[in-house]
Amino acid sequence: MAERLGVGIGWRPEIDLTVERLPGIGFVEVIAENIRPDRLPESLRVLRARGVPVIPHGVGLGVGGAEPPDPARLAHLAACAEALGAPLVSEHLAFVRAGGLEAGHLLPVPRTRRALGVVIENVRRAQDALDVPLALENVAALFGWPEDEMTEAAFLGELVAATGVKLLIDVANLYTNQVNLGLSAVEALDGLPLQELAYVHVAGGHAHDGVWHDTHTAHVPGDVLAILSELCARVDPPGVLLEWDDRYPSDEELEAELGRIRGAMARA
Amino acid sequence: MPEPGPRPAPGPPSGLGSPSGPGSPAAPEARDELARAQAELLAALVAGGETPAGFDEERLRIQASSLIAKRRGQVARLRPDLVRALGGDFAAEFAAYARGRPKPPGGSRADARDFAEGLRAAGRIPGDPDPEPSPRPGWWSRLVRRRGR
Repeated sequence: MAERLGVGIGWRPEIDLTVERLPGIGFVEVIAENIRPDRLPESLRVLRARGVPVIPHGVGLGVGGAEPPDPARLAHLAACAEALGAPLVSEHLAFVRAGGLEAGHLLPVPRTRRALGVVIENVRRAQDALDVPLALENVAALFGWPEDEMTEAAFLGELVAATGVKLLIDVANLYTNQVNLGLSAVEALDGLPLQELAYVHVAGGHAHDGVWHDTHTAHVPGDVLAILSELCARVDPPGVLLEWDDRYPSDEELEAELGRIRGAMARA
Repeated sequence: MPEPGPRPAPGPPSGLGSPSGPGSPAAPEARDELARAQAELLAALVAGGETPAGFDEERLRIQASSLIAKRRGQVARLRPDLVRALGGDFAAEFAAYARGRPKPPGGSRADARDFAEGLRAAGRIPGDPDPEPSPRPGWWSRLVRRRGR
């Protein structure tokens, strides 16, 4: 099992002082594309000086894309991990660009054996460029590929077996796929190699016309916390991190939200 | 999710080479096939391309709208002046601009600039030059906010 991280929050420049003040923060994540390793934000240096682990979280690598991962992006992730003394780097099982176009978002990969071979090779290249372990996150999807032939849990399981990559399980994304695509979150938890879990993401979102949008701008719904409890009943997660990206609530509300997360972990 | 930012400049050399080898390479045709499939899908989502066979049209429409909403949110944060100028029309104006038009190279700043140029050309906003986008909270704002506690 990976390093103990505890309960954390996504560090964002807009809530830097809040993150520093919140009691009991075990670790934070920073969006890797938004920092320069040679000019770290002061807040992250404050947190590092206190011994709080800071994990670079990439959103632009597209390890699920058809192109091998960009060596410059990999070098950036490696440099972020080094500058932050990070225990690991995380990214997503997703593609973000194709045919010269940028999606501006994390899109699901077709879960076929042939695509799996490409992703395995991409992940190995990424691992070769990093000095620390890589963890990959399951993404939220609004659609499925017609050629999907494996569940996400099976696809991630084979990827883990072939590469030793760690897992970042986003329980809000499992919930999103349950609402939008009818994929059972609990079945996904049963199928995932949770012994390779690095940490967990939790976030809120909004329902719109029966579709769940994982916006990271709202309180975590009870259904997502219930999935977190289910996960904790199966494995003691090394870390659980709240993602909140915009329309930030008060410090007190964020503190209460972290309390709800701790409560859901204790209910397992 | 925050947007994938611009391509980072190559950092200092680090972390090259762990003992694990490249493994058995995926068939080159598999990469080509995946490239084609992802490019067709993405073109349908952001560039007005045709829906590839087998996909749920309605779901792709929702995904395309969601991508535009995300771009709109990022542009709104960079250019609050445009939000003020357009008022209740901001979302519709942005959707009209963004539908079938992929996000330009240069990310959200370029997107905001192109959107503003289109509005100026259409006479929807005055012809002033772009204001500097509001900077991220830096050391100065940090100092001010600390003192203001």
